[in-house]
Amino acid sequence: MRIIRKSWTDPGLLLATLPLTAIMAFFFLIPLVMTALLSFQGTQYYRLIWTWSSDTWVDVFTHWHYWSIIIRTLTMALICVVLCVLISLPVSYAMVHRVRSLENHITILIVFAFLTDAVLKTFGWVLFLDRTGVMNGALSALGFGPQATDILFTPVATMLGMVYNLLPYTIFCIYLSMKRIDRDLMLAAYDAGASRFRTFWEITLPLARPGIFAGAILVFVLALGVFLEPKVMGGGTSPMAAELIRQTFETRVNWPLGAALTLVIIVIGTATLAVAGLAAHRATKAAAESTE
Amino acid sequence: MTRYRTEGVIAGVILYGSVAAVLIFFYVPIFTLIVFSFSESRFLSFPIEGFSIKWYFALFASREFWPALGNSAILAGVSTTIATTLGTGGAIAWMRWRFRFQRSFQIVSFAPLLFPQLLLGVAMLLWFSVLGGWFDFSPALWTAIIGHIVYITPFALIIIAVQVHGFDDTLEDAARDAGATNWQVFREITLPLIWPGVMSAAIFAFLLSWGNFYVTYSLAGTARTLPTFVFSGIAVGSSPVYPALATVTFVPALLLLGLADWFRRRAAKRQMGAWKDT
Repeated sequence: MRIIRKSWTDPGLLLATLPLTAIMAFFFLIPLVMTALLSFQGTQYYRLIWTWSSDTWVDVFTHWHYWSIIIRTLTMALICVVLCVLISLPVSYAMVHRVRSLENHITILIVFAFLTDAVLKTFGWVLFLDRTGVMNGALSALGFGPQATDILFTPVATMLGMVYNLLPYTIFCIYLSMKRIDRDLMLAAYDAGASRFRTFWEITLPLARPGIFAGAILVFVLALGVFLEPKVMGGGTSPMAAELIRQTFETRVNWPLGAALTLVIIVIGTATLAVAGLAAHRATKAAAESTE
Repeated sequence: MTRYRTEGVIAGVILYGSVAAVLIFFYVPIFTLIVFSFSESRFLSFPIEGFSIKWYFALFASREFWPALGNSAILAGVSTTIATTLGTGGAIAWMRWRFRFQRSFQIVSFAPLLFPQLLLGVAMLLWFSVLGGWFDFSPALWTAIIGHIVYITPFALIIIAVQVHGFDDTLEDAARDAGATNWQVFREITLPLIWPGVMSAAIFAFLLSWGNFYVTYSLAGTARTLPTFVFSGIAVGSSPVYPALATVTFVPALLLLGLADWFRRRAAKRQMGAWKDT
């Protein structure tokens, strides 16, 4: 395919890019700038006051309470990333190499589950895990005590919900990158006497690294903003950042504080992306040099 | 040789086992909802006591269900149309053209994808409140539509970009040589060629918008869609109406996914046909 150079006077280019750019600038970039500006305002009697002060930021950095929630959010997000990647590796590998005749059907099954309304699925988990739910009902029918599991409304349930809702992202990223790997490389490794595990470790895993990276980053960023899972499955007992931010806006009606906390999360997310992007860039560069 | 064999067995167990486990995992809550929707009792406890479809009637008789369904349909319909149109133009500009500030354009049109949705919603809500103060309006369904467009367009753009990537441009040149204008080339040649990608982007966008909770929750004001209706319902107390609603909403998703698969197969067949012809 030929790449065409276009100048900004070209009507086709203007038609294709300007409306999109305008919408993103007006409803995405300006709100972000707005949020930053708002964090420097004050609040009194539930009303916003336009004063330029850094009181809110002092407040944010001196209250351990906010940071304990932010640290919990980060920890949960990191655990979620590790679990998602660990589960996705064998699943994607099997989808590419083992169940090839069923590959499309499995993809469709996962996509369907993924695209079903998240609120309803989370509610489905509550019904499944509840004391009187499916899990305990089935287990007691098999003769395991009246209440075999009781993890609902604990952080474990929150984590289960997060992995459930975010797993498809890592599966698809890793699946797509594994699918692109040249099979001949693996066959060559087998011919040279390498075992399956060694081939996986030394050929498949390094070559699938871009997909693993992309999936992990996507899951991390999305996990920073989860609201539904801690609320519905965690029972609101150990709130995460999104719940804190929502409460600050809706219950405490403290917009500057809410804006500041939103920014903290956005900065953490963006910083992670930047560091990961840099690391990925270095890794590909190093790999390119080593093959030369 | 035995070492290889045991290794093969272990690998097989891990691989097949993980696929089976993940599929079961994905369908646990979905089947739970379907089972409970046919419960006789009003309490959601297992094993269910009797079979009935009365909760479906209760759902259809509910006064809040129909407006929520209507709002969901309007929201998903309008934002899908706009997001897919914008995404088509954006994808062509991403993949086929080179222009100044292309990098900035790519970042701006892609960035919302990497944002936690609730934070995206909150930031937009702040902006709409300021605008609302200036122009005297309050958040309603149309502000949610704008939110959905910002959130969904990057997804649509990427799906179409994949289709644009394998594009054969000799047909375009032929049409241009035959004297077609740029617009005619786009309408008669380019669009039909990337149409499968556009359609799957539209279906994906529709489903994303239809099931979206976070953005709608922040931006729709008092207007309820199906996900926010369910959320406020289960916050008050659970009732078998919600499993029934879940089962009802699986139907359009299933149909759309079948449609998407049909488009994909047809496109694949066409590509095979094109190869055979050459």
